[in-house]
This record gives sequence, structure tokens and C-alpha cells, in this order.
Amino acid sequence: MAAIEFQAVSKVFPDGTRAVDSLDLEIKEDEFMVFVGPSGCGKTTALRMVAGLEEISEGTISIGGRVVNEVQSKDRDVAMVFQNYALYPHMTVAQNLAFGLKLRKFDKAEVRRRVSVAAATLGLEDYLERKPSALSGGQRQRVAMGRAIVREPHAYLMDEPLSNLDAQLRVQVRAEIQKLQRTLGVTTIYVTHDQTEAMTMGDRIAVMRGGTLQQVDAPEQVYRWPVNRFVAGFIGSPAMNMVNARLTRANGDLVASFGQHSLVIGEEVLANRPALRAHEGGEVVLGIRPEDIEDAAFAAEAPGRTLTVVCTLREALGAEVLVHFSAVDDESAALIARVDQLTAARMGEPLQLVVDTSRLHFFEPASGLAIYGEGGRVGAPVAA
Amino acid sequence: MIVVPGRRRARSVEGSGPALIGPDEWRRARVRWGFGGAQVLLLIGLIVIGLGPLVWLAKSAITPTNDTITYPMALFPHGAAWSNLHEAWSNVQVGKYFWNTVVLAIGSWFAQVFVATTAGFALSVLRPAYAKVITALLLTTLFVPAVVLLVPLYVEIVHPPLIHHSFIDSYWAVWLPAGASAFNVVLVARFFDNLPREIFEAARIDGAGPFRLFWSVVLPMSKPILGVVSVFAVLASWKDFLWPLLVLTNPDEQPLSVRLPQIQSQTSLGVFLAALFIASLVPIIGFLIFQRSFLRGTGLGGAIKG
Repeated sequence: MAAIEFQAVSKVFPDGTRAVDSLDLEIKEDEFMVFVGPSGCGKTTALRMVAGLEEISEGTISIGGRVVNEVQSKDRDVAMVFQNYALYPHMTVAQNLAFGLKLRKFDKAEVRRRVSVAAATLGLEDYLERKPSALSGGQRQRVAMGRAIVREPHAYLMDEPLSNLDAQLRVQVRAEIQKLQRTLGVTTIYVTHDQTEAMTMGDRIAVMRGGTLQQVDAPEQVYRWPVNRFVAGFIGSPAMNMVNARLTRANGDLVASFGQHSLVIGEEVLANRPALRAHEGGEVVLGIRPEDIEDAAFAAEAPGRTLTVVCTLREALGAEVLVHFSAVDDESAALIARVDQLTAARMGEPLQLVVDTSRLHFFEPASGLAIYGEGGRVGAPVAA
Repeated sequence: MIVVPGRRRARSVEGSGPALIGPDEWRRARVRWGFGGAQVLLLIGLIVIGLGPLVWLAKSAITPTNDTITYPMALFPHGAAWSNLHEAWSNVQVGKYFWNTVVLAIGSWFAQVFVATTAGFALSVLRPAYAKVITALLLTTLFVPAVVLLVPLYVEIVHPPLIHHSFIDSYWAVWLPAGASAFNVVLVARFFDNLPREIFEAARIDGAGPFRLFWSVVLPMSKPILGVVSVFAVLASWKDFLWPLLVLTNPDEQPLSVRLPQIQSQTSLGVFLAALFIASLVPIIGFLIFQRSFLRGTGLGGAIKG
């Protein structure tokens, strides 16, 4: 298994589009790295450059310490799982699995052994003689995985492999892929636009936007300590609520005020974000995750933590209820709270909400960068 | 078989959008009989025009010459003459010309399929930087009428560049020009364009070079278009008259299409018609078989998620 390293890698398409811009990233041996970002953020292009399917315009990519810019796909010893499966339609499952091995001149006994091991791992033994057209979506996806496994490559490259599966199957295959990767211990780059997949699967996740890397860290770190507004809004579902707030001091406490509301910023927040004090008297963007807002009926009320709002929409999801409300005069800026399933919130009725002020996020209005500061959580925008 | 227009027919029309005659109108006897009768007459007319000549040829091939001349539409007034077929095959040497035709057709077929698939692969899958220019040049050749190219092509076959050895009276003179079909190349390239590129990429990552990709992945996925090109190629070669007449001057090498007109003056009408029947049998049977096996299309089921 091998480490993969991007050094100042850029991809410029003939029409001038800069799909990937100066990407610096090291993926450690056996690590499960997830590239996540919205459509067009360059994550798939970055993956295809590792696979050798796109030329590298600038910079270098190394696999296992070897620069592969000029190495053909077949000689990079990586295996790729495509979004659309890309199985060979005229071959049976067994032939699909064996194709790569035959091309690499493995002897027949070894091919048979690896195919049967992969088939057993993925539960495909009963389908080996079937053509892809006779398989369900989930089975095809497993064949595509099997084709990567049999090769025993240096790295797996997966390009949104679950996006064509239905929701139930997606959860199941997601768990299977994680288990498989842990068992096989192969360096994996997994591309997805689904932040749930990113959060649940990756050892680390690399959030990309417009071709540039925004943040790389363990999923929970990215969730708790996003470097900017984009990452904060992209990771987490429903997305983080953002409102413009003014920082003032009242009764010795630092208070964030927006609309009719004000929240006292706890000492814990200030310890992690010492630079916040410098914004006293100024405007900041306040970020509150929906899950950090609870119906007052189910949380300990405290002064400086409560919002009195009117529920504008109620979405019952079963385990929880999403309450939409407006906290400022502008009604289009709807905020969302994720509250207990037994909430009494009704559309058009007032509601008391309690905010977990120890988990507030703050961003600079102009740059959108998170406010941490020296001694705070994150120094640089990209932490490798 | 007589098609009786009735309720079932009216229903089947209902489902396929606005019909010329609605279901209510079908219930009226005058419409049913008038329109239904016209349909039956049209069907019979098409059968007579389409199959009539072939059936007549088959009948006449085994009818004595005198009967064919005296009673052209009668069905064996004085018995069948099976000897016509035997005589045509052995005495008039239709068998030999038949074989020549088969050899020419196989060679032309191979040349066309080889050039069309390899050129189509290069232009569509490998896509070198100049592929667009080549495709444009190929398309422009489609605008040049074949007759205009006859003389330059003949000169080229007599004095081929580099080789300096005339191809006249050699089958290469038919095979090589057959391969130069811009239409086939464009047709196949367009088909390859529509194959999912992820499969090519998967094969490249699996370790396939261009040749492997072509042979093990692209060709097996291209059976429908290979069928189309093959049917066109074999039929065109089978019925080609002018070009083989020009480049194959030795009667022993000529195909049926060239020999049949000359046989006509040397043999009786019955034997000649038997020879014509044999000559037309292969393309008909071949077409029936190939259209069933090839044009069905293998499809790309399961290759990618649509």
C-alpha cells in the first residue's frame, strides 16, 4: 500500500477552466481520504489525475514515493470504481473480475483464487456466470468493487460509487465499503458530494470548492472547527444557520446580538476563539448548528441562551423535528432548529428555543474565515 | 391471410395516439369493409410486387425453357426440370463463379470491417489531436460521386503507388478499394462515440493498451454496428458489376454478377434462370440470417447505470 501526494497540482482544461488549483495534500498509507465538495469543485478531476485519466497541468502527483505524472494508468497500480459501475457488458461477472488480472499475465490458478476470494468477500459467488445486465444495481456495484479488490492495488480510487444506489442500499454498501477498506488496509481516495458519506467513511476529509482545497482534517474536527463559512455550511445537515450579529459587552459578558435576540458567549467559546475579543463592538457572522438549538421544553433554560421565535414551518422526520423560524426582520433568512420529536411547536405559533452557546461559530463578515486566533483551534485555513 | 379489421384492431389503434379512423367509425360497416378491403388489397399488392419476381424466378429455374417461354405464368404445365439447376451448377460453371463471388465478398467484407473498425476506433476512442480534421476530410469524400472516382481509382490499381505492380486480374484490385469506405468509417465512429467512455477508462486502468481495448472491449460491444456494416458490405460486393468487370479481365476469376450476362448468350433460358436463382439465393438467405443475429443488437445492458 502506498501514500499518495499532491504537490502544487493544478488542472487547466483547454477552454481555460482551472478545475484544480495548486492542490497540496498528502494521503498517508492505508488512509481512507474523502474528497468532498459541491458539483464542479474539482474533486473528481483530482481523482482522475491520480488515476492517469487526466493529464496534470502543473505540479506533481506521487504514488508510493514515485512521481507518476508521465506514467500510464495501467502502470500506476491503482484500481478505480466508477460512479456508473463501467462493467464490461459482454463479459460475465467472473470475466469482469478476472480481466485486469489476465492483462497482467497472472497464471490461471492465481486468477481463479483471487476471483473466488473477492466473490466470497462481496457475496457474489452465485452470480459469477451472470452478465451485468442480469444483476441488480447493488450487485453491479459490488462487481465494480470486486474488480478493484482482485487487483490488490496500491490504492483504490472511488468516484461517487454509491450515488446510483437507492437510499437503503446506499447505507448498506457504505458500511460494506468501510469494513472492506479497514480489512484490506488499502489507501483509498473516495470522491463524494454527499457530506454524510464523507463524515461517516473518511479517516480524513478534504473539503474542496472551486478547485481549491478548503480544509483537510478528521471528519469530526472539520465539523467542530470549520475554517470558513463554506466548510461550515457544507458539512452538517441541515446546514449551519448563519446570521449577521453584533458583538457587545453587557454585564461583563460578551454578547452576540441579532434582530431582537442576544446570546451570551460562554468562556469555553472565548478560550477556543481568543481573536473574538478583537471584534467587540463590530459585526461578525454568527453560526449556529440546527442540532445545537433545542426546544426549551427539553433543555435547561438559562439567561442569555434563549430565543423566543415564531415557527414558520415544521418538518417532522420521525426521530426529530426540524423547526424553521425567522430570527431577524428579513423573513427570507430562515433558520432551522433540530428539536426533540415530542416538541409542541406548531406553525405560526410562538416557541421558546435554547441555544447551546458553548458551540457557537463565528466568521469574519468580509473574508468568511472562521475567527479563532492565536492559541485558538485552527491557525491556517488548510491544516494538512 | 386476410386481415379482418374489427374491434381488436380498433383498440390497438387507440393506444397509439390519434388514429386516421377512430374506434367509433370502425363500428360502421361501410368504413370497416371499405377501409379494411383497401388494407387487404394493399397488402396483397405489396406481396405480389415484393415476393412475386423471386417466386417466379424460383419456379422458372426448375421449368423447361419451352414452358417458360410459352406459358410464363403457368405452374409446371409439363412437369419440373430439376436438371436446369444441375446443368447451371456444373456445365455453365456457375459453381466456379459462385465461389469467386464468395471469395470476393469475404475479402471485401474483411477489408471494410477492418478499415471501418480500426479507423473508427482511432477517431472516436483514441482521439488524436488531428482526429477532427481527418473526420472532416472523410466526410467531404462522401460528397464525391463514385462514378467520378472510377478512372482515378482504375489508374491507381494499374499503377499503385510504392508497389509498382499492377493489381489488374488480382482479387486485391477489388478488395483494397472496397476497404476505402468513408461512409463505413463515419458510421462506426459515430457508434463508438456513443459507447460509454467510463468502460474504456476502466479497461485502461485494468491494464489494457489500445490493441486490447479494441479487441477485448470495443469490438465485442459493437456487434450491432458490425452486423450493419457486414450486411452492407456483403450485399454491395455480391451485386457489384462495373468494378469487377473493369479489373478482372480473366473469365475464370470473374464473379457471378459479371459472368451471368455473358452466360445468357451461351445457354438456354431455363438454365440461365436456374443460374440467376442460385446467384440470388445466397444474399437472400444470408440477409435473413444476419439480420436476425446481428441487427437484434447485443445492447449494453448492465454496463453502466443509465
